[in-house]
Amino acid sequence: MLKEQIGMALDSLRANKFRSLLTMLGIIIGAGTLVAVLSLGNALQSSVFEQFVDLGTRRIAVEPGDPRAKGARDVPGYGLLSIQDYRVLEDLAAARPDLFRTVVPEVAVNTEVRAGTTAIRALLVGTSADYPEVQTVPMLAGRFLTAADEADGARVGVLGYLVARDLFGAEREALEAAVGRSIEVNGQPLTIIGIVDENGGPFSTDGRVFAPVSTVRLRLVGDLDLPGRGLQVNSVLLGLTSEQLVDPAEAAIVAALRSARNVPEGAINDFEVNTPTQALSVLQGINGAITGFIALVAGISLVVGGIGIMNIMLVAVTERTREIGVRKALGASDGDVLGQFVLEALALSIVGSLIGIAGAIAIVVLIGAVTGIGAPISWSAVAIALGFASLIGIGFGFYPARRAAMLQPIEALRYE
Amino acid sequence: MSTDYITSPIVQISDMVKEFPTGDGAFRALDGVSIQVDQGEMVAIMGPSGSGKSTLMTLIGLLDTPTSGRYILDGEDVSSLSRLEQARVRNRKLGFVFQNFNLLPRLSAVQNVELPLVYGRVDSRQRRAQASAALEAVGLGAKLHNLPNTLSGGQKQRVAIARALVHNPAIILADEPTGALDTRTGAEIMALFRELNREQGRTIIVVTHDPEIGRHMDRVIGLRDGRLAENILSEYYGVEVFERVEREHGLEPVPVPVRRQGEASRI
Ligand SMILES: Nc1ncnc2c1ncn2[C@@H]1O[C@H](COP(=O)(O)OP(=O)(O)OP(=O)(O)O)[C@@H](O)[C@H]1O
Ligand SMILES: [Mg+2]
Repeated sequence: MLKEQIGMALDSLRANKFRSLLTMLGIIIGAGTLVAVLSLGNALQSSVFEQFVDLGTRRIAVEPGDPRAKGARDVPGYGLLSIQDYRVLEDLAAARPDLFRTVVPEVAVNTEVRAGTTAIRALLVGTSADYPEVQTVPMLAGRFLTAADEADGARVGVLGYLVARDLFGAEREALEAAVGRSIEVNGQPLTIIGIVDENGGPFSTDGRVFAPVSTVRLRLVGDLDLPGRGLQVNSVLLGLTSEQLVDPAEAAIVAALRSARNVPEGAINDFEVNTPTQALSVLQGINGAITGFIALVAGISLVVGGIGIMNIMLVAVTERTREIGVRKALGASDGDVLGQFVLEALALSIVGSLIGIAGAIAIVVLIGAVTGIGAPISWSAVAIALGFASLIGIGFGFYPARRAAMLQPIEALRYE
Repeated sequence: MSTDYITSPIVQISDMVKEFPTGDGAFRALDGVSIQVDQGEMVAIMGPSGSGKSTLMTLIGLLDTPTSGRYILDGEDVSSLSRLEQARVRNRKLGFVFQNFNLLPRLSAVQNVELPLVYGRVDSRQRRAQASAALEAVGLGAKLHNLPNTLSGGQKQRVAIARALVHNPAIILADEPTGALDTRTGAEIMALFRELNREQGRTIIVVTHDPEIGRHMDRVIGLRDGRLAENILSEYYGVEVFERVEREHGLEPVPVPVRRQGEASRI
């Protein structure tokens, strides 16, 4: 029976294609908006807002522990990080690609930087070619460090905007001409391969000079090792696959480091983990509000679509009163008629939501292709849209269907 | 041992009253009607317009509920069934043929004929087989997949008849089945009913205004102003003709006064 009724429902949709389409419009728009917004929501969060809040939202920084903190243990070199910790985190990242994209070290030393007769003090930061993956690095001229530079321990460096300006002046030509020139860092020659544009904010690169870790250690500053632990590292930056994963990522980092650093049970961490929670909560708050608002609009659109369905089903019941009479004369029970009309309303809403969902998927894919934002379709949004639309179809279809079902057979047959 | 079939009553209606609410009080469309129709009978209900023929048919067909009265259909008391039970009885025991065919326009002939079986929860393969056979039986084996609007009036009524008998009902009810057809096509349809009655032993009740049809029936039930009326055919024919009719049926002619002869609807 269900099979026949589904057939009947789809038949009557087909019989009035244009009318059905108009009726479904509200549902189409509602379901489509819901899926598009919820799918793009993540992408919006990571791509659009990133420009304001920076890659910092997708990064956890591991920094030295404070030896003066309450509960700090009295051991030599307490809280300091070394290349060993970096390796631990590297292994962790390799083991949990679901959480981490990259691990980048920062070896920082205050040094004197000299170009010709001008000398200034700047923070020399030894890092890897992956640095731009955890920090926005807009290049003004030249390029950033590469893996080859790292492997060779090449005498190359990238200047932050303020450093470059202080050494060469603010004119663009002068800055561009500086690329390729040699400067002295800590008395050692270093060739400028790039200049980073002005880049304010809490994670600014402006006052820094970047060079490969190997170059810093081998050619520029000499011995930076901690006794018995290898190169001292100032911080380790871990890029996350998603800002949604801050909590599990933080837990994994803490567990790995505590175990590697032999932190006794009950003792506080002898390192700090800086999570972008605050930035994130603001971001998520904004994003949630926007998503919620649009989802609300989509929901209203679905409800309005439901009213449209109810309206057209009432029309259909009136138009087809005679048909209902004939069916009843031939033995259709009230339940059969009720089922037929509810299914028809359901078919309208399901077909409508499928059209809307298909459109939304097309739009999301298109936006993804055009902007390069990786926006996966939110299948839970698809399920929600379908489920909600079905509920609406049943809910708003029930009243007209009941009217049809309760018609007296003879009155329905006599209806003109 | 006698092998003669024993006729058993299919429809037993006693003292049926049907009132319709109107602006000034209830209007009594049927006023204490009692009839019986036996298995295998082919009966006409005749009477002037407004006499309550259609009302009686809808009550026999369980399409409406009487104000009072008792109704036994095929041995089962159906006087006070629930809506669901009524639907079941309509589906199993009754077949309807309407004046205006009442085929569903978007369904093909065979799909229309399948409808009673759909509601009888017959599986689709058997349904198709039975419906095709029924259409063959009414001479429409070649038009199974035609939509109603590609069929002539007579063909539509044949589809409707196939639909009324496909589920093998106890009784077929036809309210003016030839009313929308020309004389010749109407005669063909009546011949089909006759054939179904003679060859398959189907019980058929037909409402008609046509005395030519009426006189070819086993029996005529007359109605006037909601009550049973004797010798209703005499309203359509003069006494002489009526006598001839009764003689043909092997009955003794009963003299009846000629009434309103001029108004008779002649063929
Ligand atoms: N639903 C109704 N409400 C009020 N009055 C009704 C209703 N149905 C029928 N009637 C009245 O009952 C009487 C009998 O109607 P019915 O349709 O049974 O007549 P009929 O014998 O079939 O007439 P016809 O030969 O014209 O078809 C008529 O006077 C009609 O007006
Ligand atoms: Mg009538």
